Amino acid sequence: MRKLAILAVASLAGLSAGALAANLTISQKGRVFSSESVTIRKGETLTFVNDDTVPHNIHSTGKGNEFNLGSQLPGASTDVTFNGVGEAQVVCAIHPRMKMTVKITD
Amino acid sequence: MAGSNSPDDDESNIETAQGKSMLGPLSRSTLSGSAVAAVIVGMISFASIGFAEAIVGKTRRIDLGPKATLGIDAMKLEYRRPESIPFPSENPYTPEKASLGKMLYFDTRLSVSSAQSCASCHSPGFGWGDGLAVGVGHGMLRLGRRSPTIVNTAWGAIFMWDGRLANLEEQALGPIQSPDEMNMPIEQLMERLASISEYKPLFAAAFPNERMTATTLAAAIATYERTVVSERAPFDAWIDGNEQAISEEAKRGFAVFNTKAQCSSCHEGWNLTNDSFHDIGLPSEDVGRGRFLPDISKMRHAFKTPGLREIVRRGPYMHDGSIATLEQVVEHYDRGGVDRPSRSDLIKPIGLTSQEKSELVAFLKTLTSNFTPTAMPVLPR
Repeated sequence: MRKLAILAVASLAGLSAGALAANLTISQKGRVFSSESVTIRKGETLTFVNDDTVPHNIHSTGKGNEFNLGSQLPGASTDVTFNGVGEAQVVCAIHPRMKMTVKITD
Repeated sequence: MAGSNSPDDDESNIETAQGKSMLGPLSRSTLSGSAVAAVIVGMISFASIGFAEAIVGKTRRIDLGPKATLGIDAMKLEYRRPESIPFPSENPYTPEKASLGKMLYFDTRLSVSSAQSCASCHSPGFGWGDGLAVGVGHGMLRLGRRSPTIVNTAWGAIFMWDGRLANLEEQALGPIQSPDEMNMPIEQLMERLASISEYKPLFAAAFPNERMTATTLAAAIATYERTVVSERAPFDAWIDGNEQAISEEAKRGFAVFNTKAQCSSCHEGWNLTNDSFHDIGLPSEDVGRGRFLPDISKMRHAFKTPGLREIVRRGPYMHDGSIATLEQVVEHYDRGGVDRPSRSDLIKPIGLTSQEKSELVAFLKTLTSNFTPTAMPVLPR
């Protein structure tokens, strides 16, 4: 199981943009999102994993894709399904250097 | 300030506010995203739908594996000083711009009363703050928060205690125009500066193809502010290998800072901040960052983590200046402050021994340099 998870993530590493399969995992280790930008289709899901040593609070105010995960403690993994076509800026409210863009296509 | 020269770089020789050379382009280290070794061991909750269309699904608990414990040498690597000041590409450094910016920074004519300059609240004499619990504005108005230092703002990611301004250029114009602070309408200021004949050639030299505008004014002040960099402190000498540079007590304090007390979770890196926002449990009504992110409960009473360089010169402490000494600051964190929903998950009673508290303070004191006095500029007439 662990090996599969590593492989799944490793296969996606380096793809900063472009259409990707659902359930892409975004790491937050070291107060950095593992991707600056990802492109998904409407209705697809990103998994935000707090594999860092400190809590994060990621959210988006992108129209049609608003969400707020609240305080996400280390070791928590949360799915977010994006349904609004367009672009969502995802940021950590606690750590303003953490920013990424999610492009949602039809 | 020490640094390695970069003879091929036209912008490499940068004079800091203290007259020291800080050289070469910054090579920012980036943290590489690593693969997530995650094993789902159990679903612990279904979060509710956030706001509109994005659907927040189930939250799971994952196994991150054993926590890595860093040795003291590995910890020290995180605190190495950068070799140069980062200037934004849209407002690159030039000596003419920094020189003009310094004059503007110290010029009281930037306030409507002609009695206050940027340096009134951010004075080199007080570690580039004002030494007061809260700032004093136009007409001796007592402001709500402490004047933050401008030391090392070149490395800042977001500005003001509540993060309401995105960059140093915006920040430069904020207090000038604020009715509570310098109370100077920007159009009136530009007219006043245009009437001071010696300013015209200085603006022309700093901005050859531009007019005197609020934009160029802000660019000059921000450029000067970026040159205000903390000087080498005893801590830096220790980081660079001089074991005699700080006391054994301070070295133990460094270890407590990075382990048991977890100060480094927020006071991270060479400037001892990662610009994060936290409610640290101060009994203040000020909602801070919560004013701008009202839907995020952890941002209520949250303020930006300040850097700790030159900290001995910067008291009193906290966003409201409510704590007078470093010893009391350590006591506050040890107790954990006010327990409320917005309090950071990182803030909780620590259980430090009296020896550990003394060691922490001894470490903090090593972050202060023998600051070189700043020469006042001769102002245009």
